[in-house]
Amino acid sequence: MKIVIKAFLRYLLRRRSLSILQLSGIACGVAAVIGMAISARSALYSFNEAIEFLRGKATHHIERPAGSMDEVTLMEIKDDPAVDFFSPVIDRRIRAGDGEVVRILGIDPFLDSAIRPEIVRTISKGQSPQENNALYDFLYEENAVLIDNNMAGQLGISSGNTINTNKGAVKVVGTFSNPSGEPLIIMDIGNAQKIFESTGKIDRIDLVLNDETGFRNRWDKGFKIESNKQRRENLTALLRAFKLNLQALSLLALFVGVFLIYNTAMFAVVSRRKDAGIMRGIGVRRSEVFFAFTTEIMLFGIAGGAIGSVFGYILSRILIDILGNTISDLYFFLRPIPLPWSWWNLIAGIALGCGASLLGGITPMIDLVKTEPVSALRGRIYQRTSKNTVKRLSVFGLMIISIGVFFLIFTSAHVYIGFAGTFIFLIGISLTTGLVLMGSIPLLRRFFSYLSGTIGKIAISNIWLNTNRTSIAVAAFMIALSMAIGLSSLIHSFRHSLIWWMNSQLRGDIYISTRSDVDVPLELYEELKNMPGIGGIDVYRNIQITFRDKPVHLTAIDSSVLQRYTNFSWLKGGSENWDPVKKGSVIISESFSRRFRIKEGDKVSIESAKGIVSLPVTGIFHDYSTEHGVIMMDRSTYIDLFNDRTINSLGIFIDVKGEQRQKIIEEVENMAHARGLPTSRQRQFHDRILAVFDNTFAITRSMRTLAIIVAFFGIAGALMTLFVERQQEFGIYRALGFSTKQVAVITLLEGIGMGLISFLMSIFTGSAIAYILIKVINLESFNWTIFFYFSLNPYITAFTTAILASIGASLYPLWKVYRLYPQMQIREE
Amino acid sequence: MNTSGLIIKTSDLWKKYNIDEDGFALRGVNLEVKSGEILAIFGKSGSGKTTLLNLIAGLDKPTKGKIEIDGNDIEAIGERGRTELRRKKIGFVFQFFNLLPTLTALENVLFSLELIGNPDVKLALDALSSVGLSNKENRYPFELSGGEQQRVAIARAIVKKPSIILADEPTGNLDTATGEQVLNLLVSQCIQSGATLIMVSHAMNTCSFATRIINMVDGLLVEDRSSGDCGL
Repeated sequence: MKIVIKAFLRYLLRRRSLSILQLSGIACGVAAVIGMAISARSALYSFNEAIEFLRGKATHHIERPAGSMDEVTLMEIKDDPAVDFFSPVIDRRIRAGDGEVVRILGIDPFLDSAIRPEIVRTISKGQSPQENNALYDFLYEENAVLIDNNMAGQLGISSGNTINTNKGAVKVVGTFSNPSGEPLIIMDIGNAQKIFESTGKIDRIDLVLNDETGFRNRWDKGFKIESNKQRRENLTALLRAFKLNLQALSLLALFVGVFLIYNTAMFAVVSRRKDAGIMRGIGVRRSEVFFAFTTEIMLFGIAGGAIGSVFGYILSRILIDILGNTISDLYFFLRPIPLPWSWWNLIAGIALGCGASLLGGITPMIDLVKTEPVSALRGRIYQRTSKNTVKRLSVFGLMIISIGVFFLIFTSAHVYIGFAGTFIFLIGISLTTGLVLMGSIPLLRRFFSYLSGTIGKIAISNIWLNTNRTSIAVAAFMIALSMAIGLSSLIHSFRHSLIWWMNSQLRGDIYISTRSDVDVPLELYEELKNMPGIGGIDVYRNIQITFRDKPVHLTAIDSSVLQRYTNFSWLKGGSENWDPVKKGSVIISESFSRRFRIKEGDKVSIESAKGIVSLPVTGIFHDYSTEHGVIMMDRSTYIDLFNDRTINSLGIFIDVKGEQRQKIIEEVENMAHARGLPTSRQRQFHDRILAVFDNTFAITRSMRTLAIIVAFFGIAGALMTLFVERQQEFGIYRALGFSTKQVAVITLLEGIGMGLISFLMSIFTGSAIAYILIKVINLESFNWTIFFYFSLNPYITAFTTAILASIGASLYPLWKVYRLYPQMQIREE
Repeated sequence: MNTSGLIIKTSDLWKKYNIDEDGFALRGVNLEVKSGEILAIFGKSGSGKTTLLNLIAGLDKPTKGKIEIDGNDIEAIGERGRTELRRKKIGFVFQFFNLLPTLTALENVLFSLELIGNPDVKLALDALSSVGLSNKENRYPFELSGGEQQRVAIARAIVKKPSIILADEPTGNLDTATGEQVLNLLVSQCIQSGATLIMVSHAMNTCSFATRIINMVDGLLVEDRSSGDCGL
């Protein structure tokens, strides 16, 4: 037994180049999955840490459904018997000097010591006079702040330094440890009220309650009480689609990775076929061959998995930055902290490598063990699958495709069913690779023969004569290219749908303060309203509320202005949908409608400052601003229900044209800038949204590239195996008078041929994937419709990738041809 | 245990490779081989010689007919039994040597012993020495000449002292002089150990080493003579 294993394993050393290639393939597949998983875990871990850190010891918090509450509420809270501890909070955003939007928490250090003792201890535990000064400064210096250690390190500042912000310079009087990834600034609540011009107001009160029910009964009207569990659920729900996206990408990496490992195992079988035959000839049992081969596969799995886990960890450090940017763009500022290296990564990598190797190796292993010794002893024979087998496999593939489509039909039950359907569909398509090879070979042979005569014909015939090996590599590459086409088409269509949406809804000439960190003072709005030349101003206010225990957005707008100046795209009806909004109805976004199955004519019940109100829905509009759904109402209705006059931003529509228009725009800009408010013209605003969009898909693009790299190894491995096994055949070419160059051209054309077939298959499969992603998966994940915009670019990119990757994959075999070919003989080893 | 002295018996042995085609590789072969015989099977390419050898070794299955080794029907003993047969009772020498390329000469020979549960390095070295390769035990197959590789293959076959040695064109890939040496070695080793040797060959010089000669044509045994002279 020992010698059987030794004989197998020494082969790996002898065929070092092939072994390295196979090992790299497995490592790449594992790295992709581990990298994706670790970065996603880091992001979510940091996210949870941020929630936990801010929560402190609080069990609940109370706030107004929208806007701030009066400080006097504190007096009543203090006397409530259910309240053990309480701490008023101002919770806002501030733009730091480097442009980052940072959370700033205004607290009362004495009241907050029961809620967040760690932070308060930072400023009050000081022994030295200098540290005692910190507490004094924090309380009495108007612009004194504490910042977290991570942020201090990043900005290179310490106590005594100042940071410039959009609310003026603040002085750092101390730092505190923050285990979460969300940068945080702490300020005394009184000072925070001053800089945010909210004197007498607080945003919420954090509470430690001893009787939740009693408290809720006393404070049920006009207030929103949220337990920590609810808060965590709401915030986690915010990231649902984002998590889903990450999971889908991890699955994609795993799928291509397993394909590649299957490829690897297949090559190993093919190259050991004769040795297995000899062993069986001299009395080795099937089980012993099986065991030896399994040992080899497992060794590959262990080594590849271990290397992959290390590379995956390194990869996660890159991906985590991209993830952090996306979370910050879409949800809230978070700089995820990479999780430290854990030996579990190694174990997971090895388990994944071994599991995928076993999964991928099972069919080749059965093939090897079942092979009759006499047929194996005939030596290397062409591994063409018989036409009947190809047909049978294709029929089976079509059945699998049907099952995939069946799953896709039921995607509405759960988006995971859609994912499963997509992967089943891809497996089905892969099984038809042989049939496509069979169908396309005559055409390709003619084409390659036209290009390079007999050599081209030989190259294409080799692909066909070795279908057992080439079809797997072609299938893996086809899937990677199809995913690239599908994802690119999705991104392209989404981008164009977004542009269409912006052009129809975001038509203001200039926008004031579209960022989350600054609100617009009421008096500026009043001033602008009376400015000649301005036709209308959309006053925008957006808050987050919970609807049926799920977070949604509630937006207040000026319906008359939007009716006049914008061209909202409605699912039903047209501009007349605005009329009832002016009278107190609401309109909802498509995602809201799909998510909660609410249609025109239904009513939505929301919690307002006046208690629960039911509002009729009179229109549904396309919207890509948030997948959580939007309820839109007129500002007058909003003020009536929530008593909140805050303005988040203004969209200004100018009636006059030409030079006068330009003048008005500049004047508005000057007025806004004078108040420290940022402005963007329509084009700038749209560009910024597109930049966020492009950022969001950065990780998708990275994974797409990774999938292609993994598949590249598949093609390279197939070519290497073909080369290694055909040395005797090359000897025949030599005897026939072929030059080294001609043999090299055969190898190159084989690579290009495989790439070309993969591309041809990916045209159909990629288009199907694009359709599935746009019309099924996306709709279920985000609840919004993306319109299909055709673009040739994904196909051109896939074609170029296919050809370049095939040439790249051929390079090593080509080098081997030039190095070894002249010495090749027509003899067995 | 067979008491008639017969070690191999085939009855009405047929073999068809491709069920879609009409041709048979073997068409009702009846053959009896006594223990200790040195049998040479001649025939043109495609006459069914190698097929017969593979069937006797249990490497392939007949379409019809029966094979008995030492009185046991090799179909009846199952896959495991056939493996045991090759492991303990049959030694195989192939035309293309079929040494395991990743094992040294010594390891290739030792492998045979390991399979019968007796991985004795001394025995393996002795076997290599008996075929004249005492200084080349640590060489890999690709470091040996064709003749040397075939000698390793013979050492591998004889080291476990099998009762039958099957040799498929053992000199087919060697020059005449080397072929002669290899045959000499093979036959003398078989005589020495009392093993039955069945050689399949094209080479006429094989006749002079055989105690019995069989000629095959189109899957049939057409001539069976007890002679050291080919006369074909």
